[in-house]
Amino acid sequence: MKQKKAITLLFTLFLSILVIAGCSNSDKEKASSSGESGNEKTIKFMHLWPEGSSKTHYTIVEEIISNFENDNPGVNVEVEVLSNEQYKDKIKVLSTSNELPDVGMTWAAGYLTPYVDGKKFTPLDDILQSDLKDSFVPGTAEAYAIDGKTYGLPLELNIATIFYNKAIFDEYGLEAPKTYDEFKNVIKTLTDNGVAPIALGNKDRWTGSLWYMYLADRIGGADVLTSAINRTGSFEDLALVSAAKEVQNLVDMNAFVKGFNGLADEEAKSMFMNGQAAMYLIGSWDLPNYTTNEDVPKEFRDSIGFFNFPTVDGKGELTSHVGGPGVGLFVSEDSDVKEEAKKFVSYFVKAWGEKSVTQAGVIPATKLEADSLELPQMYIDVLNELSNATNITLFADVQMSPEVAEVHLTQIQALFGKEATPEDFAKKHEEALSAQ
Amino acid sequence: MKRLGSFLLYLSLTIVAIFQIFPIVWLFLFSLKDNREIFSGDPFALPSEFRWENYTKVWEGGIGIYFWNSVWITVLAILFTVLFASMATFAITRMKWKLSKLVLGLCMVGMMIPIHSSIIPLFKMFLSVNLIDSPWSIVITYTAYNLPITIMILLGFYYTLPREIEEAAIIDGCSVPQMFFRIILPMTIPVMSTTVIINMIYNWNEFVFVNTFISSDHFKTLTVGIQNFIGQYMTDWGAIGATLVISVLPILLAFIFFSNKVVEGLSSSAVKG
Amino acid sequence: MLSVLFYLPDMGLNDMDKVMSNKWIIALYVLPALLLIGIFIFIPLVLSGYYGFMDWDGIGAMTFIGLENYTAALQDAKFWDSAWHSFLLAIFSTLSLLIYLAIALILASKIKGSDLLRKIYLIPMLLSSVAIAQLWIKIYNPTSGMLNQILLKIGVENPPAWLAETSIVLYAIFIPILWQYAGFYILIYYAALKNIPDSIIEAARIDGASPVQIAFRIKLPLIMGIVKVTIVLAVVGSLKYFDLIYVMTGGGPNGASEVMASYMYKLAFDTNNFGYGSAIGFLLLIITLVVTYIVRKLTATKEEIQY
Repeated sequence: MKQKKAITLLFTLFLSILVIAGCSNSDKEKASSSGESGNEKTIKFMHLWPEGSSKTHYTIVEEIISNFENDNPGVNVEVEVLSNEQYKDKIKVLSTSNELPDVGMTWAAGYLTPYVDGKKFTPLDDILQSDLKDSFVPGTAEAYAIDGKTYGLPLELNIATIFYNKAIFDEYGLEAPKTYDEFKNVIKTLTDNGVAPIALGNKDRWTGSLWYMYLADRIGGADVLTSAINRTGSFEDLALVSAAKEVQNLVDMNAFVKGFNGLADEEAKSMFMNGQAAMYLIGSWDLPNYTTNEDVPKEFRDSIGFFNFPTVDGKGELTSHVGGPGVGLFVSEDSDVKEEAKKFVSYFVKAWGEKSVTQAGVIPATKLEADSLELPQMYIDVLNELSNATNITLFADVQMSPEVAEVHLTQIQALFGKEATPEDFAKKHEEALSAQ
Repeated sequence: MKRLGSFLLYLSLTIVAIFQIFPIVWLFLFSLKDNREIFSGDPFALPSEFRWENYTKVWEGGIGIYFWNSVWITVLAILFTVLFASMATFAITRMKWKLSKLVLGLCMVGMMIPIHSSIIPLFKMFLSVNLIDSPWSIVITYTAYNLPITIMILLGFYYTLPREIEEAAIIDGCSVPQMFFRIILPMTIPVMSTTVIINMIYNWNEFVFVNTFISSDHFKTLTVGIQNFIGQYMTDWGAIGATLVISVLPILLAFIFFSNKVVEGLSSSAVKG
Repeated sequence: MLSVLFYLPDMGLNDMDKVMSNKWIIALYVLPALLLIGIFIFIPLVLSGYYGFMDWDGIGAMTFIGLENYTAALQDAKFWDSAWHSFLLAIFSTLSLLIYLAIALILASKIKGSDLLRKIYLIPMLLSSVAIAQLWIKIYNPTSGMLNQILLKIGVENPPAWLAETSIVLYAIFIPILWQYAGFYILIYYAALKNIPDSIIEAARIDGASPVQIAFRIKLPLIMGIVKVTIVLAVVGSLKYFDLIYVMTGGGPNGASEVMASYMYKLAFDTNNFGYGSAIGFLLLIITLVVTYIVRKLTATKEEIQY
């Protein structure tokens, strides 16, 4: 009989644990949940720069938060940090239950739209017009605008350029190409000598998209892709089809490393950084690896340069870029501390600008006095490119709605893998875009 | 001839053993390298310099609290799962009632749901009872989601237990709980140890539920410690390797312990009767 | 113990039936598990089936659209491709049970060093999928990976890029899955084999049966019940498999390694199609149910029908 009691006891214990857990947690929940409790206000803030991998970003965020808390007595900022992918997943789950943090990170355009349609983010135009008037580089905050209202304030601005290994180029008497013919010649010389020309990790797909986007820009001009996406144009535009053809030409020339469709961007990057490939097209977020990152041998960093994507048959402008703002801050529409949250966002953006470039090597979306800062030469060059830019086309998968972006990215892989013809590629895009 | 046969047998067994042991060796080497070395060349090459700083980095990242959370959440969930699963399996296989087949069927269906379709409903449920950001949501979820598979594994063993044992026990005047705790449970120690090992591995390595339900740092578990080293554009793989090594050690020890129980149980069990 | 039976009065047997069908005790034993499964697995399951009737991006409001998601899924070529891949994985996993069983039989026979070998064989299952995926990504690397290095050394020209070619990627991913689960099934078979009383095997040996005969004639039939359970586990586990595939290829290239669970995840989490994703998740469950039912029918034997 003892045992019978034992089970009953255990079972009641289990149930009571549940009850207690539920109760005790709800007490705590009240205290820690966003909103007012007594005179204290708590802003919940989620970001995606963990201490382990992004130490400098993380430290700046911590600094900003503690300064903000000092300047604003009675306001606390509660932080949750997740890695990129987990962050995206968690935001989705939270939004299904209306539990978004008061302040969090978002991406521009296509990513943002459903949250704006679902009235989850609040417009930030008031702080943009007052506190932060004229602080952003033109075109960056606009990428977060929908129907004339701005729902996110960008923290980064990147352009993609082709980084190249000067040591390898010198060995074969090559120079940074200005035209596409020169570029093809570089590829041919390298492949003839058994050197892999371009590191590409197309498992991640947006990496291949960069190549397609640049070819489209050079062949068809700065607007052709954007207008195809916003439906004033078409993916069956001849320029876009020939850009797709050109991608396959490059594949046929063995321009990209072996098995690129199965490689992650990270693997491709490491091939470039180990001197196993001569070129690598990537966003300027990678600059620290070629300038300040002490973990990378100095000899390698010194041998890296970059050039703009070459013009194709005399068409296109070297000053037209693919890129755009990266993550931005949003304020939740249902936040109980909306005013404080907006204040925090504004405070954050202002403090972020200079610190981010000098301490973390991030190019911020806010205007910089580049001359007054001590920066590595390559940063100054990229900042110059940015100020001379005639156009920056926002990354295609960011421009598109998530559904169309998925089609685009899958088709990129199919195009590079030659499972889709340039015509199929165009058709699939048209179908996806018109289905919206 | 017989010699040759056993030589070949051992040779192939050893080859398989090398295959199975190399991930641990690889992981250890991995944990002492930096990204450049990890991605270039031979995964079994020795690191050019032993980067023990990967371990200090991980340790300073506050892995201690994650570690402790992993331990108690795993242990508690295993206790609940194995106890409840044993009780249910006992009732399904040994007792006489009409709905036993139906209950068994429900358990089987319970194995079939992909976790990504249950995660949003579960989040809403825990939210409504204020269990979001409480470790109890994790313990409960682990227990519930491991029950079906644990019951399935126990099932096959319970069917093979001889009926005579119960009959004898009842004639001796045992109550059902006495019979279950004193006779049946000790007899199933080998299979219980098997399910403990399986539950342990599942709970220890799980991260989707933890990431979704927990937001406070002091409730997170070891697998979340790995997330700390995954960056927006860069990932510190050496530190991830170090985290993985630290997290695999205790489970390796526990595994060896329970693995012995799988065999030991037999000698003490009542099957001999 | 058997001897007791001979003195067993009729009353005793009836008593036994009475004791073993006590409703209260049954409830006490079954309810904890049943409640947990019911509340935390079945309610979400029903809810996700319900979301399947909705047009919902997981952010804004839900709109009821009836069976539209389900009918769309049935006409979705990508869904059927992914279902086919999952099905191939299920067949492959079931076949690999034979290998696991053979290893377990060898380990459970009393050969020297079997205790150590068994522990070594189970090591891969201790590692999380994150680690295993990274290991195999490195093994499969088309230029620096171990596999292609070996192939080059033995004179294979231009070995394939395993994870980049649509025709082989699926099979390339099966190998690490086979390897990852070896420990799990060997452990179960091993425990089952050790559960066979020594006396039975000893008796057979005295009768002059060879080790192979003992394995096939005595051991295998005795653990058949558990083998059937593992077939179900392998099939169910494969049909909802997600982990390694998602990390190693993300379902690509061009959908060549997409399985049902990864497709569902993409729809729900990457393209904000929660309604449609939930419908796919529910179809996954139904497909799994049907396949499991067929498997159970195929493996059913007379004795089992008795139960």
